[in-house]
Amino acid sequence: MLNILIVGNGQCGNRILDAINRESFGKKSRFAKYLSQQKYKSNVQTIAINTAVNDLKEMKFTKAKDRIHIPHLHGVGANRNVGKHVFEDNKTHIMRQIEERGDFDVCFVITSASGGTGSSFTPMLIKEMKSKYDYPVYSIVVLPFREEGTLYLQNAAFCLRDIRESGSDGIILADNQFLKQMGGNVESAYNGINDMIARRILFLLDALDSEMMMVTDLGDFKTVMNGGAGLATIGFYEAGADIPVRSAIQKALSPSGLLFSSDVYEEASRAMIIIRGDRERLSIDEISTEVEKLSSAVGHVFKGIIVRDGELPQVLAVLTLESASELENLYSVAVDAIKHERDKKERVSTIKEVDKAFSQIDGMDPSY
Amino acid sequence: MVQPTRLFIISLCMILSCIALAGSASAAVEVYNSSIEMGNGYQINNYVIDVTDVFVSANSASFYVYEQNKEVKNILLNTGDFFEFDFEGRGKVKVTLRTVSSGIIPRAGVSIVLSNYNYQSLYKNDIVNGGHEFATYSGTPELRMSKTIDKSEIGVGDIVRVTVTVENVGDDKAVDVIFQDPQQARFLLYETFVTHSGQTTVDVGESKTLYVYQLKATEAGTYTLSPTTASFSNTAGQKFPLASSNSPVVTVGASEDLVNAELEVTTILDRYAVSRNEDIQGTIRIKNTGDAPATGVTVSVQVPDGMELIGSSDIETISGVPTIYLESFGVQQEREFSFTLKPQEVGTYTLSVQNSYRFNNGVDAQLQQVSSSSVTENIYVSKGKYDYLFEQPIYVYLVPLLIIGLIAGWIYYRHKQYKF
Ligand SMILES: Nc1nc2c(ncn2[C@@H]2O[C@H](COP(=O)(O)OP(=O)(O)O)[C@@H](O)[C@H]2O)c(=O)[nH]1
Ligand SMILES: [Mg+2]
Repeated sequence: MLNILIVGNGQCGNRILDAINRESFGKKSRFAKYLSQQKYKSNVQTIAINTAVNDLKEMKFTKAKDRIHIPHLHGVGANRNVGKHVFEDNKTHIMRQIEERGDFDVCFVITSASGGTGSSFTPMLIKEMKSKYDYPVYSIVVLPFREEGTLYLQNAAFCLRDIRESGSDGIILADNQFLKQMGGNVESAYNGINDMIARRILFLLDALDSEMMMVTDLGDFKTVMNGGAGLATIGFYEAGADIPVRSAIQKALSPSGLLFSSDVYEEASRAMIIIRGDRERLSIDEISTEVEKLSSAVGHVFKGIIVRDGELPQVLAVLTLESASELENLYSVAVDAIKHERDKKERVSTIKEVDKAFSQIDGMDPSY
Repeated sequence: MVQPTRLFIISLCMILSCIALAGSASAAVEVYNSSIEMGNGYQINNYVIDVTDVFVSANSASFYVYEQNKEVKNILLNTGDFFEFDFEGRGKVKVTLRTVSSGIIPRAGVSIVLSNYNYQSLYKNDIVNGGHEFATYSGTPELRMSKTIDKSEIGVGDIVRVTVTVENVGDDKAVDVIFQDPQQARFLLYETFVTHSGQTTVDVGESKTLYVYQLKATEAGTYTLSPTTASFSNTAGQKFPLASSNSPVVTVGASEDLVNAELEVTTILDRYAVSRNEDIQGTIRIKNTGDAPATGVTVSVQVPDGMELIGSSDIETISGVPTIYLESFGVQQEREFSFTLKPQEVGTYTLSVQNSYRFNNGVDAQLQQVSSSSVTENIYVSKGKYDYLFEQPIYVYLVPLLIIGLIAGWIYYRHKQYKF
């Protein structure tokens, strides 16, 4: 049994963590926590960290003791510099909380790249953890909608760089932009995206701790994550009744199945494919054909099959990327954004000249 | 078959002859002029003239005369001769043998003449087959009636018992007896125990009780009770004068100024069939219908186990018994006390209500004490609507309560665990 730690930083991290905890109850109901127990196979510990107490309060499926509030007036805004200071000030407190949870086999830290708290806490936290613990620490990083504004793009760009430099064992990307096909309003789109991410993580945890027919394990996962440029994403597909497992694998690897848009046959360097479902539905031939197709394109592919009687075939693919054209796109937009922000700042300082006009009447009173 | 005209003429002749003979008791009447077979007799009232022997060759016949089986004369007559005997005192009967004739049974032709006698008094005048031994004689029934009373001095409103008996002390059975017992003025027929109606007979020596009844005196005074009478006949159909009883005298004293209090205590319930734990509304009504006030009125209600009585403030509980106590209760006063009965157990119940009071009867120095009790009709208490719940064994409650408790505890625990 694995000991797994999942940390959710900032609003986005908190919400995805809560979605994972809810999903682990196996039921979608609000009352799931009263009706059942979490179905983690491993010893899973979760910690939510935020400066905004309201974000912590909104969580429903994460135990109170797992929610850590770092007090700072009104959060940190989207200012990563403020965030870094706050983390620095509360570092011992935060690290003690993690220390208390004991030793782990693997850790995942979830955050948005573009906010304030999560994006600034995560790199620093990983750095601290890596200096203290031997276990791998992976980050799950949510990229912003492109239209969310220059400030968020800028944050995302710097955050990703900071995480890479923090010593994280790998970055799993999830891109809001490409997941927003969920539709609906922002709130329901967030919930949809969070659920998608949560299901993939749970599937992954389940696979890492399963007696598989054809074994993949934490070691394999580490090997996969070591490959490429340290960036990874996850694909997933659940086959309907009349979809053959072959198509399911293809769908999981297609952009619509991935958390981060990529042409995996072009950009992936290592992969791990886990297929779960009823024995009848899992054709070894079809699976082998598809896996070979991928490995001939990318290199080594770890393959795991979990037999679950009565379950529809589900396919999870973890892929590390050699290159990420989408990320390059993001950065080029981000560079524009950074320039734009800098210009704006300069403009604001010239506008400050206006204050001089007001200063002329300093110390005077109107006379009537 | 006799023709109607002939019958009419005969009847007419008889009536005429009756009228003709009516006034003269001394006139001689030939009651018979025909033949009598040897061995037969002729009866005139209680006298029988037997033709014992007919000697055709000797032209003679022998006669025996009996009065109620007692021989008064015997004689052998030749044809053309006669004999006489006294009849019922002053009367005379003259028997003449006119002819004798032979046959299978020889016969004597006789003429019988009655003289110095009221013909109307003849109730029997006919041939007796077989002679005097087969004659029926008539006697005189004598009915002695007595009317007795159990007390002869009573007060107004008091009751006297009247007994009327009859005894036949005569020598004949009284038949067609009709008794008559007239109604008694100033008295009310209060209760009848034995009565009599219609015709009856009284055998010689028989005595029987005819009437037993109670009379209630309504007015003061001295009264002679009317006698009971009887009309009757003897076995021969002779009517006799009415027999009557004695007439006892009752003195009804002018009542003293006696007064009394008379409390009516009634218990009324609004219903007699209820489910358990349903209330019954009850009322105890006390009314003084007498003519004197009552004092120290106590009404106590015996409430059976399995019921609870909740009374208004007028009903106090004295050593566990709901009791109404009233120091005095005036003439014609009426009061109601309401209460609520709460049945607690299924069953059939009655309430018994006891009351006692005292009063001054206006004559005696001492107070009169009266007590009585009454019982209500059955009150049926059946199972209540939710009673079956209480009949369940304890675990039927405990288990769900435990489960609910566990669930609530669990929810609370979880809520605490997730409350930030
Ligand atoms: N997928 C997803 N993205 C979110 C969610 N909440 C916020 N975000 C994204 O996260 C970014 C804002 O960061 P946020 O986590 O709110 O900032 P923080 O609380 O300061 O760390 C934006 O790009 C949002 O699109 C969420 O629930 N799900
Ligand atoms: Mg936010």
